[in-house]
Amino acid sequence: MSAARHKQAEPILSARGIVNRFGKQRVHDKLDLDIEAGEVLGIAGGSGSGKTVLLKTLIGLHQPDSGKVLIEGKPIDAVGAEEKAALIGVLFQQGALFSSLSVSQNVMLPMREYTDLPAAEQEQIAAVKIELAGLSADSAVKFPAQLSGGMVKRAALARALALDPRMLFLDEPTSDLDPLTASGIDELIMQLNRGLGVTVVIVTHDLTTLMTVCDRVAVLVDGKITVGTIDKLAQSHDPWIHDFLHGPRAQGAMNARKTHHGIR
Amino acid sequence: MAGATSNSSSPILAVDGNGDRLALDGVLGIRTLDQARHTLEQWRKQRKAQVLDVSKLSGLDTPGAMFLCELRDKHVELAGVQPKHEALLELIGGLQRKPLVKPPAVPRWRQLVIQLGKGADDFWRDSIDITAFVGRTVSALGHALMHPSSLRPASISRQIAETGINALPIVGLMAVMISVVIGYQSVAQLRPYGGEDFTIGLIAVSVLREMGVLITAIMVAGRSGSAFTAEIGVMKAREEIDALNSMGLQPFDLLVIPRMIGLIIALPLLTFFADIMGLLGGAVIAQSLLHISPSQDFERVREAVDMSDLFVGLVKAPVFAFFIATVGCMHGLRVRGSAESVGRETTRAVVKAIFLVIVFDALFSVFFEKVGL
Repeated sequence: MSAARHKQAEPILSARGIVNRFGKQRVHDKLDLDIEAGEVLGIAGGSGSGKTVLLKTLIGLHQPDSGKVLIEGKPIDAVGAEEKAALIGVLFQQGALFSSLSVSQNVMLPMREYTDLPAAEQEQIAAVKIELAGLSADSAVKFPAQLSGGMVKRAALARALALDPRMLFLDEPTSDLDPLTASGIDELIMQLNRGLGVTVVIVTHDLTTLMTVCDRVAVLVDGKITVGTIDKLAQSHDPWIHDFLHGPRAQGAMNARKTHHGIR
Repeated sequence: MAGATSNSSSPILAVDGNGDRLALDGVLGIRTLDQARHTLEQWRKQRKAQVLDVSKLSGLDTPGAMFLCELRDKHVELAGVQPKHEALLELIGGLQRKPLVKPPAVPRWRQLVIQLGKGADDFWRDSIDITAFVGRTVSALGHALMHPSSLRPASISRQIAETGINALPIVGLMAVMISVVIGYQSVAQLRPYGGEDFTIGLIAVSVLREMGVLITAIMVAGRSGSAFTAEIGVMKAREEIDALNSMGLQPFDLLVIPRMIGLIIALPLLTFFADIMGLLGGAVIAQSLLHISPSQDFERVREAVDMSDLFVGLVKAPVFAFFIATVGCMHGLRVRGSAESVGRETTRAVVKAIFLVIVFDALFSVFFEKVGL
């Protein structure tokens, strides 16, 4: 947590020479990526550029064709289940809430499996996590099928936070949401990053999220990755990155960034 | 503490100090929370004015911060909060921290009464649903047969392949097995009377009239009825049914009718196949237990049965097919959202389909007895 403010040399997660192939198509071509503790990193790229596959590779759900992922200096395969649960929280694109459990049961599941706190204590912690994720107390008893899209994302975020992971991976946290709800989620991510000191990795093509929330952005183009701050990337000569950051939609997001940073 | 700064899997928390001032040293987190609460609770009981020094905490997570905020609410002063923990405490302290809303507990006897009432209500609704669904299916089937151009031959033939052809091996095997079972029992029962030769007729009649169609129908209910529910149910859960509706397409015509017609064609054919396999099983029993050659066996079978036995068995097949498909599709369309719901409806569909098959088989027996077939 202390690394949040003054960046240290040792990255919390580093990927080396990642190659992923689907059939003949090379989605990732020897990617290298370092994630610093305490930062918010955005992963952007066009549809089908392999953003989600990269995320799954980083958290060890997908075995790359070659290359390795080190998390706190340890190969991801060598990290034990319990250690991994304390290290990584994931918000999946569709939420992936367990449909047979209520929101609070969803949040309590990892706690129940990995700690031996009394039930009352777990419930209290779950209630705080749910409130932290911006859900009202009465939605805790609801089942995933009864939630709206934005609430599903928030509930899934509450579950991802259950064990206070040091890293939070968010797959398209603002997709399918109205702009107001999306801004709410953006605000929440920043709040969690500041308050909990959690390292956040966001896979998104929401320009506003990339420009207002992320400290650095990694752009996936043609199987290669380019990492930098938005301002640096904006000067890139790569045609895709240039169009991505200077297109009609980018202007609005750029303005949001300016106002946002002005306020901050 | 030596291990206080380590961030290993078993964090350590130490509480020391005396009088009104205590100091926490180490990691205050989800794993050390119980210990911290325990120690501090005792301490709080003994003293009144309290100061808690948290300057030596090396780690603090949200449950830990919750605990500290709770203490602060109870007028314990936190001293020496590190700047890195300040943000977290502020975040957690700013929340309302309301307990979870709990649904009020219902006493056991009331639960039983409620369940009974719910069960009765469900049964009533179920009966209405089935009746309505059967009516709708019959009307749609009638419409489809009047306008054959509206049928979807590709879809129907795929269903026949899926429910009929792919089921041939297992149905054939079951039919042979059931003949063997009947054969062994009858030989054992009839031998004391010297009537074991009647086994051949017994197997033939029971396979043709009852066992062939019953085993096939039960097998198909388990195999295809459940598949219907799961397929349609997942489509329902993924809003594919709504998509069809929005395109002005009738899910009923697209999903239910092809399955229904496919199964009504496939089940009689499967039954016929099961009958043949059952008779072959009978021949095997005749050869092995009674030392009667297959050619003699078939001669005896021909004497023992006539066309009406075959007819009685086969005529039941389309009726069973109709109910299996109806129940399977109906439960599929009843799925609501969750994965659990798909499982529950599939179970219900299979149980109900097998139940209906056996009930109608009994009714058929009574009916054929009355008309003298």
